Amino acid sequence: MTSKRAKKVKEASSKAQAVASFSQDAKAAMASAKMDTAPAKPKVGFYGITGCAGCLLSFIFNEDEILDLVNAVDLKAFPFIKEVNPDEQFDFIFLEGLVADAEDLEVAKKLRANAKVLVALGACACTGCVPAYRQFSLKENYEHLLYRKEAHLQDVKPTPVDEHIKVDFYIPGCPPDKQQIINFIKQALLGKAPPAYTSPVCVECRRNGNACLLDQGKPCLGPITVGGCHAVCINGGMECWGCRGPTTDMNLGLMIKILREKGFDDKFIQDRMRTFVGLKLPMLERVIHGEHNT
Amino acid sequence: MANITLNHITKIEGHAKLNLGIDKGKVTVCELSATEGSRYFEGLVKGRQYFEATEMTSRICGICSCGHVIASISAIERAIGFSPSLGTMQLRRLLTLGERIRSHATHLYFLALPDYLGYESALAMAGEFKKELKIALGMMKVGNHVVSAIGGRDLHPVSAQVGGWLKWPSKEQLQELAAELQGVMRSAQATVKLFASLKQQPFSTDGNWYSLHDDIYAMLDGSFLSPTSTFEQHDYHAFIKEHHEPYSTANFVVKDGKRYFVSSLARLNNNADQLLPKAKLALKQSGLKLPSVNPFDNNLAQAIELVQAIEHAIAICQMHLPAEEYTRPAPRAGNGIAAIEVPRGTLWHEYTVADDGTITFANIVTPTAQNLYNMQEDVRKLVPQLLKLPKETIIIEIEKLIRAYDPCFSCSAHFLEVNWV
Repeated sequence: MTSKRAKKVKEASSKAQAVASFSQDAKAAMASAKMDTAPAKPKVGFYGITGCAGCLLSFIFNEDEILDLVNAVDLKAFPFIKEVNPDEQFDFIFLEGLVADAEDLEVAKKLRANAKVLVALGACACTGCVPAYRQFSLKENYEHLLYRKEAHLQDVKPTPVDEHIKVDFYIPGCPPDKQQIINFIKQALLGKAPPAYTSPVCVECRRNGNACLLDQGKPCLGPITVGGCHAVCINGGMECWGCRGPTTDMNLGLMIKILREKGFDDKFIQDRMRTFVGLKLPMLERVIHGEHNT
Repeated sequence: MANITLNHITKIEGHAKLNLGIDKGKVTVCELSATEGSRYFEGLVKGRQYFEATEMTSRICGICSCGHVIASISAIERAIGFSPSLGTMQLRRLLTLGERIRSHATHLYFLALPDYLGYESALAMAGEFKKELKIALGMMKVGNHVVSAIGGRDLHPVSAQVGGWLKWPSKEQLQELAAELQGVMRSAQATVKLFASLKQQPFSTDGNWYSLHDDIYAMLDGSFLSPTSTFEQHDYHAFIKEHHEPYSTANFVVKDGKRYFVSSLARLNNNADQLLPKAKLALKQSGLKLPSVNPFDNNLAQAIELVQAIEHAIAICQMHLPAEEYTRPAPRAGNGIAAIEVPRGTLWHEYTVADDGTITFANIVTPTAQNLYNMQEDVRKLVPQLLKLPKETIIIEIEKLIRAYDPCFSCSAHFLEVNWV
């Protein structure tokens, strides 16, 4: 492996790990956001770039708590449901969506400049989610759909926001667990850096008493995926597709081996693993071709 | 009045812009465009297995994710020649109704109502109109609970699959949902009363309306029809043409060169005689005259559909629906087209599947894509009748019109940046 490629993989891996954790800088930013604003309510903005609005809805769909919650903060901007959204400095900006065109990029940079703490809200912002799977799709599959003629509307590579701007915290999931968003805000109001969940999905899944779907021959990615979702998909009968991103200590080689034993071919395994978090698995191709074990 | 340029609408499901030029009382330019970053879902599912499209295309839209799930399942089942059981169909209806409840409640109270009450947002209304917001949140909660109980999750539900359900709700669960739904029936009726009391801009669209028409109030099947024509879902390509505007990502869909709209109002125009008793009464009491060609009436139509959806969902929860074991049907080569009614109108999914189950073609047409052309031409028609009003009022009225369609960039219209030339 060339050193340039190694560096790229290393960078991508460290960003992948960031999904499950956060930096010391983020802790400091959290402290300063709290300090600068106390005792005033922290100024908060919820924004979206290209996405499905599901993560913003997940916040709003805290039906019992939402009215109190928006009283506990100074909710200054939320273009989804607000007409007036001032362009100014915020303590916290929650950003949904991925960068898919030049305008997204411009907005993401501007929001970063406006935010003391920037939180990537949901899978698109954290990993690129399904839209970023285009990077692994054959060009002939989608190029006939490329019909944007004006230069300023041209696509950029579909990418999670941390490819372009510094992210302080990640709330992963497609969409995130709605209680998780509330918990984050509660912790933030106390000036604490909310702890990131790091165990794999299997921990919660077993606690819920689910029968193991992998044992039943389904291509469940729970063992290599960060939990914190209460294993909600498996509770509903569906195997984990990995939307919350890989765990830092995953054994990718073993996961692939098990899936092969269950009868899945390499194309299926690769496609499935890349659907939500392909950009956070830069080592996948090497591992699947046996160049590397983990 | 001098030239006006309205420019740059953004937000909710992506961003939209409205370029409007006015010269001597005439509209010279009117371009409404969705400018959201493209996501190419139709390309992304190519090469994937027939049972994988559902999980992926659900990500097109958060609030309509159940719609995309059911439309993709139906189209793929038609492609592989599988007919779902009656029980499976009832649960699919229930899932879709739960979504209709939460979506209409969210749109009516959080997006549409603030315009009428003179607030910048629903949150700003919380002081004076807390009761109304609680009514909205109560219905959203029950709608969401129906979706999560049946579909496994609030958004992007997982339990509905090609062939049936991975998990079947228990009788107790259905009874619990029925009780919760009963509990918000009065909220829905109050919503009809509230929206019937709002003063609407007199306006008529020149577009025709289309919706499904089935043997029950339009949901998951039926012919696609207007007062002047009817066609079957599999004839989609002979009937609907798409063209692409250079300034937009969205497809404009025209029928024989004519534009049309899909929505709650379109459904009501075509199917009001199939409403259940409480919804029929609500319609009567609302004073809404059908058929209506005033898109502003879509808000009231959604309110009436809230009553209908709750009533219908209760009826399904009270049915005897014995659990069915899930088996994934085997693939078979074929093409399938399915249209279903989602909160914002008719949604189309189409797939071609190869012998080994690989998807080789996909086509997805959303309600907003179908409505975009009509919305744009409505704006063109509305503006001249507003020109005597103050500029701010003109913008509010344009926003109200766009929002009444509940487009997937709906709240986008909440973000009109205006350059007065």
